[in-house]
Amino acid sequence: MVGCRPADPDLVKIVSSLPRTGSAKHQSDTLVRGIRMAIDEAGGKVGRFRIEYLDLDDSTAAAGQWTSEAEAANARRALQDPDVCAYIGTFNSGAAKVSMPILNLGDLLMVSPANTAVGLTKPGLGVPGEPEVYRPTGRRNYARVVPADDLQGPMAADWALRRGVKKVYILDDNEVYGKGIADLFDERCRELGIEVLGHDSIDAKAQEFKSLMASIKATKPDLVYFGGTTQSKGGQLAKDMTAAGVGADLMVPDGCLEQVFIDSAGAANLEGRCFVTFGGLPPEKLTGKGGVFVERYREKYGELPEAYAVYGYEAARVAIEAIATAGSKDRRAICDAALAIRDFDGALGHWGFDENGDTTLRTLTVNVVKGGRFEFEEILDEADLVAPPPNEPSPRADPPGGGSP
Amino acid sequence: MSTNQASRTSAPPAPSTGPWAFLAQRWELVTLAALAIAPLVIPALGGALGGQVTNLFIYCILALALNVMVGYTGLVHLGIASFFGIGAYVLAILTVPMYPFQIGFLAAAVIAVLVTAGTGLALGAPTLRLRGDYLAIVTLGFGEVVKVTLRNLEQITGGMKGLNPVPPPGAGVTVAGIDLGKEFAIDPRWFYYLALLSLAGVVLAMRRLENSRLGRALVAVREDELAAQAMGISATKVKLAAFAMSSAVAGLAGCLYAASLSTTADPNAYDFNRSIMVLCAVILGGLGSIPGTLLGVAILVGFDTVLAPWADSWIQQMNVNPKGLSYLSFSGWRLAIFGVALVLVMRYRPEGLIPSRRLAAELRDGGAGS
Amino acid sequence: MSVQFLLQHCLIGLTNGALIALVALGYTMVYGIIGLINFAHGDLIMLGACLALSLVGALGMTAAGPATTWVGIGGLVLICGLFCGLLNVAVDRIVYKPLRNAPKLAPLVSAIGVSFIFMNVGLFWLGPADKSFPELLPSTNLLHNDALQFTWKDLLVVLIVGPLMVALSVLVKGTKLGKAMRAVSQDPTAAALVGVDVDRVIAATFFIGGFLGGAASVIYGLYINTIGFQMGFQNGLYAFTAAVLGGIGSIPGAVLGGLVIGLVRALASAYVGERWTGAIVFAILIVILVFRPEGLLGRRVKEKV
Repeated sequence: MVGCRPADPDLVKIVSSLPRTGSAKHQSDTLVRGIRMAIDEAGGKVGRFRIEYLDLDDSTAAAGQWTSEAEAANARRALQDPDVCAYIGTFNSGAAKVSMPILNLGDLLMVSPANTAVGLTKPGLGVPGEPEVYRPTGRRNYARVVPADDLQGPMAADWALRRGVKKVYILDDNEVYGKGIADLFDERCRELGIEVLGHDSIDAKAQEFKSLMASIKATKPDLVYFGGTTQSKGGQLAKDMTAAGVGADLMVPDGCLEQVFIDSAGAANLEGRCFVTFGGLPPEKLTGKGGVFVERYREKYGELPEAYAVYGYEAARVAIEAIATAGSKDRRAICDAALAIRDFDGALGHWGFDENGDTTLRTLTVNVVKGGRFEFEEILDEADLVAPPPNEPSPRADPPGGGSP
Repeated sequence: MSTNQASRTSAPPAPSTGPWAFLAQRWELVTLAALAIAPLVIPALGGALGGQVTNLFIYCILALALNVMVGYTGLVHLGIASFFGIGAYVLAILTVPMYPFQIGFLAAAVIAVLVTAGTGLALGAPTLRLRGDYLAIVTLGFGEVVKVTLRNLEQITGGMKGLNPVPPPGAGVTVAGIDLGKEFAIDPRWFYYLALLSLAGVVLAMRRLENSRLGRALVAVREDELAAQAMGISATKVKLAAFAMSSAVAGLAGCLYAASLSTTADPNAYDFNRSIMVLCAVILGGLGSIPGTLLGVAILVGFDTVLAPWADSWIQQMNVNPKGLSYLSFSGWRLAIFGVALVLVMRYRPEGLIPSRRLAAELRDGGAGS
Repeated sequence: MSVQFLLQHCLIGLTNGALIALVALGYTMVYGIIGLINFAHGDLIMLGACLALSLVGALGMTAAGPATTWVGIGGLVLICGLFCGLLNVAVDRIVYKPLRNAPKLAPLVSAIGVSFIFMNVGLFWLGPADKSFPELLPSTNLLHNDALQFTWKDLLVVLIVGPLMVALSVLVKGTKLGKAMRAVSQDPTAAALVGVDVDRVIAATFFIGGFLGGAASVIYGLYINTIGFQMGFQNGLYAFTAAVLGGIGSIPGAVLGGLVIGLVRALASAYVGERWTGAIVFAILIVILVFRPEGLLGRRVKEKV
């Protein structure tokens, strides 16, 4: 192999590849803070190695968001540097599809703090050939500390049914994450007999949704579900929804669980009517290691951590733990050590990775916006599902191309 | 250097004296040779840098495609990225395992190029009578329509998931015991050479075009459409030819892009931003000038995809910013640096870095305004 | 669907269109006078909105009494208008003026550069996340009809945009400056020969375009209620499209173009689906331009002979 400068025997590098320029900068800032905290807490050392952290940007100024080229370049760069022992990323599931096959070739451990697209680790929901297409060597090197969408979307629908929702209008942001979760929510609603009044996609670059909300108002839903994030205009939707006089509740996934969502929507527009699902417990409910994390974070940055921070922290801790277990810079050994984690005493509670590299954490919480903050509402457990989730996705009742009222 | 470009536009190169003049006149050959040898002597090109430089070559092809429209023919085109995208998606549809075609890179690329050329004609035919900026907005609008359509026709294009995996060229082909597909996937230098070869081919074609009857007709139409028509040149045919050529070459760039990333990426990769960046690169380098266009891409895309990430990590490793403040990080200033660079280059080299001498002179005499 | 449903969407479309039109005027005026597509205009408005938000915070403006609120809004329009107008003039002085005799596309690249610089300033000013703009106006329905909504905010757009446009037409048609502007727009050299101070006229045009942009930024904040450092792009895209659709360089054209685009967007969202709005707006634009190559109200320019 060319390009190998001699490795530094006392140094390991942990890199992260996140969108640092453009609209996702806020979320990636939080993740990076979490990662830095984990490394600082380890004293900047793991075993006999000194840790060096490198915060790579997978976006470009020209695009203002992640790009495939930048992500591919980051992955190749990490692969090429013999000191790099773990790759924390990506933020966007689409970006993971670019870097996963590249990193797989070099057996470099990839821990994502934010990818939730189901097809990255298991088959059945996305493109045919997933997830094998992301593992050209056939070996595994990818794990994620967030639950995949196949839990959050359907469980949100079950929660809605229990709450007495009969008619729902579904929106998504036409991104991999948002559309994926909204489709799963849609599917589950139809199974449960909740009437889906319409399913439309918004343009995350649009400025206002007054027309859309006027149309939704005319259909009189009990609940509006938005599969999307703060940066794909979750706040604006909530605002226009109130302005148009849509009386329904709003439900959003964890991509909106951050203070800036409330700030951008205006607290009054969400008060008591906006419900957010989240894989794991919200910061203020964390106990044990998690409670300590929240306290330290507050000391260090002077504010409560956003929901994403703990994932960044946890991902970095997994990487450090794996390097410590492997005890060497052997990349394969580090991957194996990470994927073999079965009981991890982490900030998110006790959890481990299953055979796919997915977290065994199957707890979801529902939070409601009250007094300008997220407040914990209830814990959702798989046991609460009204009917067992289908093993295979059922054929959709209507083609995804349509869906306007 | 720019003074040595003078002889470029006349068909036979003027007789020269001395080895330097000889080299300068054949800058393409010299550069090509240097780039061809580079991966053998610079080990970094076997890694991440190789991928980034490959990417640069692909953007160079895209920029040369745009140069046919904007540089030679004087038609402002704000939607070149949509043709780039159509090329990428046609290639992907013909090769990904999701579809039954799977006809291999070469055949798929040929079809993709034909399809983009046809699309260019279809867009050009009804809109040719539009004047400058109205045509620009039509191309911009076309770009938006293509992007939204790619995003919404999920069953065909995979929506935001894009189409993947696009197999590498030579997948399944074994030459002398070497599995080409695997080589392409593992070693970025294969793609480096493929992109370099394509770029060299496009530069050669552009050079031939400049000195051909059609090429002169393009320039004549740019200079004065009425006069050109009076001389018996059909402006309509000439502009249509420019549309078709430009779209076809952009489609080729799209094929290489999708194949090198092994995915079409999502439709946002082909949006207005990309069209504008390529346009900036062409103008910054020098309209109608091949070396200028290449240099413009090297600077703009090079800054954004090679230099900026490098500077960013260099600053991080200096450890001046332990708290991660955005004022002290490179990425915090990235947009401004990019913007200031654009403004400064235009301020001091308004005709571009390596102007096409003929065009620069004419534009100066013609003046701005109007 | 019902007639009221149609009416509601037309109302939304026209209100949005009025805002687009106000931004489009900034494009069309600058284009008319120096032939530059000012890509930084959308981002200029973003900076205006940043200032408006900071002012609202600093002055502690709330939706107090109707009278004070309206006076406050008037003050904001004035201050942000001046800010954007002067900033626009300064950018012209520093960036575009040295390029007056450069190739036509050179200032276009500079404008894109300025747009990036503005975005970075906005990033530091606002931070990376979108910010909510305080609701200074009540969203009570002015029409006593549940299915048809027209609020104070919608009225605000009409109340500010209408007079500004009338003032602008009077200025361009009826004053000496307006005459000079029209002269420079037709032929700068000839205008200079008859004694028009071309540089001053261009500066005045940039100021007026910027002032309208500043006013638009305040309306934007109060009407859309969210601002962010990347808002300039989409803003500019639609406004620029409106300017061209109406016939670039034509002031009534920009207004008509803005209203048409607002209307098409609203109706496309209502009857086809939100996801297709972008495609439909631009497809209709292409079709209109194919049949009316000079835009809706553009002058038929005589080809040089």
